[in-house]
Formats: sequence, structure tokens, C-alpha cells
Amino acid sequence: MPMGRPRAFDEDEAVRAAVGLFGGRAYDGVSVDDLVNHLGVHRNSLYKTFGSKRGLYLVALRRHLADDVGPLVDALAAAPDVATALRLMADADLGLLLLAAVDRAPADDEVATEVTSALAALDQAVAAALGVPADLASAITAAALGLRLRGDPEEAGAALARRLDPTT
Amino acid sequence: MALVRIEGDDLVVVIEGLDKLWALKSSLTIPLANVRGATADPGIASEPKGLRAPGTHAPGVITAGTFHLDGERVFWDVKDPSKAVVVELADERYARLVVQVDDPRATVALVENALR
Repeated sequence: MPMGRPRAFDEDEAVRAAVGLFGGRAYDGVSVDDLVNHLGVHRNSLYKTFGSKRGLYLVALRRHLADDVGPLVDALAAAPDVATALRLMADADLGLLLLAAVDRAPADDEVATEVTSALAALDQAVAAALGVPADLASAITAAALGLRLRGDPEEAGAALARRLDPTT
Repeated sequence: MALVRIEGDDLVVVIEGLDKLWALKSSLTIPLANVRGATADPGIASEPKGLRAPGTHAPGVITAGTFHLDGERVFWDVKDPSKAVVVELADERYARLVVQVDDPRATVALVENALR
């Protein structure tokens, strides 16, 4: 962004607040009024800075991927076993990524591209850390995300880890 | 009411009916390169609109014409705030357009898709 007149609000903080708002509610459930009230941004500044609600959403999604998913990818790359990988994916803040996958990706190909590449990065980190083929790594990631959705019924995560981590 | 459509590389906003009298405009043509995005925003109508010049502002009835707010020029044509769409522009006479359309969701999709 070119340096010009200083903005009347903290853009960094506003985007971070947008990550929280968009990560907690469906896209259509977040109004411009909600954004104005929660981000500490005047309506005019919001439009001038981000162009549209969708423009802000894309900035927030990329911020979430950099701030929250990026560190998870780094942590996964050092995971010694499936149990650890599952735990890391269970504990990470993936709210906006998961909501984007079901809510916006089907309707917005730019969102779909971001979501697909973020999930691929998780798959690759798991494959490299555990030394498993790409398809099995994707299955482990898919299981981990599914467990988040279902709240780990019957301690399914532990069962999966026992099956895949022979030494534990 | 306004009709928003894409013609080639332009966004065309046609002001319909008597609104064109109040707004003192019948249409606006903006190169898509100068369009930054579109947003359905029912809440914008309850914010201060700034100074009207020229056009019509009958609070609660119609907001139409050119308004100046915080050094920006904004074009309004809204009677029903629930159908207001904000089109943000760059390097144009207007900083943004706030127009009432028949189907805000469809208009936002039309404009945003044209920008991708």
C-alpha cells in the first residue's frame, strides 16, 4: 500500500477484528453495520480502504491464513506422530478457514483458491512430517477437520492415531 | 431506482423514472478498471450524507443527487434503504455511488464477478 495521508484507523487491528467477525458467522450474517461497529472504522474509510465487504473479506481471509494457518503448517511440519498432528489441528484457530470452505468457497472462486491452497499446505506438512504418501496425509487432514466438525465422537481421533501410530 | 449492468469494459448505471429528475442524472458510465467493488448496505442510509449539491434530499422519502462528505463526492439514488448498494470507485468524479436496485444480491454478484 502506498504511503500517503495516515489513515484515521488502525488497519491492522481492523483486519484482525474482521477475521474474528467473519470467522464466527456466515458471510451474509455480517452486515456493513456490524463491521463499522466492531472494527472501529468509519463506513467511508471502510469502503475507501477495502473497496467492498468482499474486498475486506478477502484481506481478512488471507490474514487468517498467514497468522493462524501458517503457524499450524510450521508446527505440523515438526509433528512426530499422527496423534500430535491430530492434536495440533484440533487446537488451532481455523474458524474462518473452515467457515470459508463451506460458506464462501462454493460461491467465490478467489476464496476457493485460497482455501484449497491452505488445505494443500496442511496436507504437505503432514506428509513431510510423518513420511506418509500424499493421499494418506490428505486422509489424516480430512479426518482431523472432520473431527473438529463432529466434536471427536467416541474418541475417534485417539482410535485413528492408535491405528496409524503403531508404537503408541 | 437504478439499473446496473455491465457493457463491455464499463459499468453502466441507469437512473429510472422520476428519480432521474431528482438526481439530475439519467445514467453514469464508469470503466470497470475504476470500479473497486460493490456491497449491499442497508445501513448506509441512516448515516450522515453530507451536503447536497445538487439534487434532492427529502429525509425519509428520497435521497438523490450529488452529496459532499469529508471531502468526497458521493452520488445517491435511494428511496428504500433495504435495497441500497454501494459501488466504490477510484479516479472518478464520484468516490462512490449509493443506488437502490431491484435485487441487491444479484447486483453485487454482477459487479464483483466482473472485477475478478
